[in-house]
Amino acid sequence: MKLNFKTLGACLVAGVLLAACSEPPEIAAKAAKRPDVAPYMGADNSFMTKGWTPGNQGSWTEAINKRNQGQSEYSRVK
Amino acid sequence: MARMKFICDTERCIECNGCVTACKNENEVPWGIQRRRVVTVNDGIIGQEKSVSVACMHCSDAPCMAVCPVDCFYRTDEGVVLHDKDICIGCGYCSFACPFGAPQFLSKGAFGVRSKMDKCTFCSGGPEANGSVAEFEKYGRNRLAEGKLPLCAEMCSTKALIGGDSEVISGIYAKRVSVRESNGRYPSNDIFGWSTAYGPSGSPAPTPTPADKIPGAKS
Repeated sequence: MKLNFKTLGACLVAGVLLAACSEPPEIAAKAAKRPDVAPYMGADNSFMTKGWTPGNQGSWTEAINKRNQGQSEYSRVK
Repeated sequence: MARMKFICDTERCIECNGCVTACKNENEVPWGIQRRRVVTVNDGIIGQEKSVSVACMHCSDAPCMAVCPVDCFYRTDEGVVLHDKDICIGCGYCSFACPFGAPQFLSKGAFGVRSKMDKCTFCSGGPEANGSVAEFEKYGRNRLAEGKLPLCAEMCSTKALIGGDSEVISGIYAKRVSVRESNGRYPSNDIFGWSTAYGPSGSPAPTPTPADKIPGAKS
């Protein structure tokens, strides 16, 4: 009977110690892609340029195209 | 709908590396990552030395998107190829597939462990909220959402590198070529990388990844 208690105790200690060897799953949840927000919706910071309305795609496209022309010296220097 | 592209005019690029510096500074790109770099060929040969600024070309049929085993890439309505770093596993397949060497990995820690992939975003961030701190820390600035163009192109001193809506920038380039030709110089009008990235002229526009078609996307 005494031996049985010893064995039981050893099993418990081994169980506690070996618990540290368990391995958590590497992928807890399936990563999901998130839809991006269109740039014409504007940015939530203080670096926004003026001259267009955030949320208005037409006004953003117009502002970007205008800025695009800034890269052409033929339209900048007349 | 704008279709964003880059053009690097090899007749104008003077290898100043201003675009590289601008990109690094604007996006706070860490040491070891070069989202944009300047490549020079025929170095030192008078009349034949050409430099070109190279980064992600945001291809129409992007090979990186095709080979990614975890499907972390997506294409925006503006034709910009972006990726989600929360999904990327840093396997490096995209870097082998890319003809421009755009995907970059930071080697960190022991045994050369690679980081998540990093590449040019056309200064349009990632899936985080536009202009947020989280987006900046992962992907850099979202200048498109601020009504601006990529800084590398906007600050190019010789305007060799131009970026923006393909119709507008190809018009700017065509004007230059016609002026050169009228002056009897540089008759070639080839644009570096365009046929590789976007196919022959007249190729159909790429289809953006619709938000409601992304598997597991949060609505």
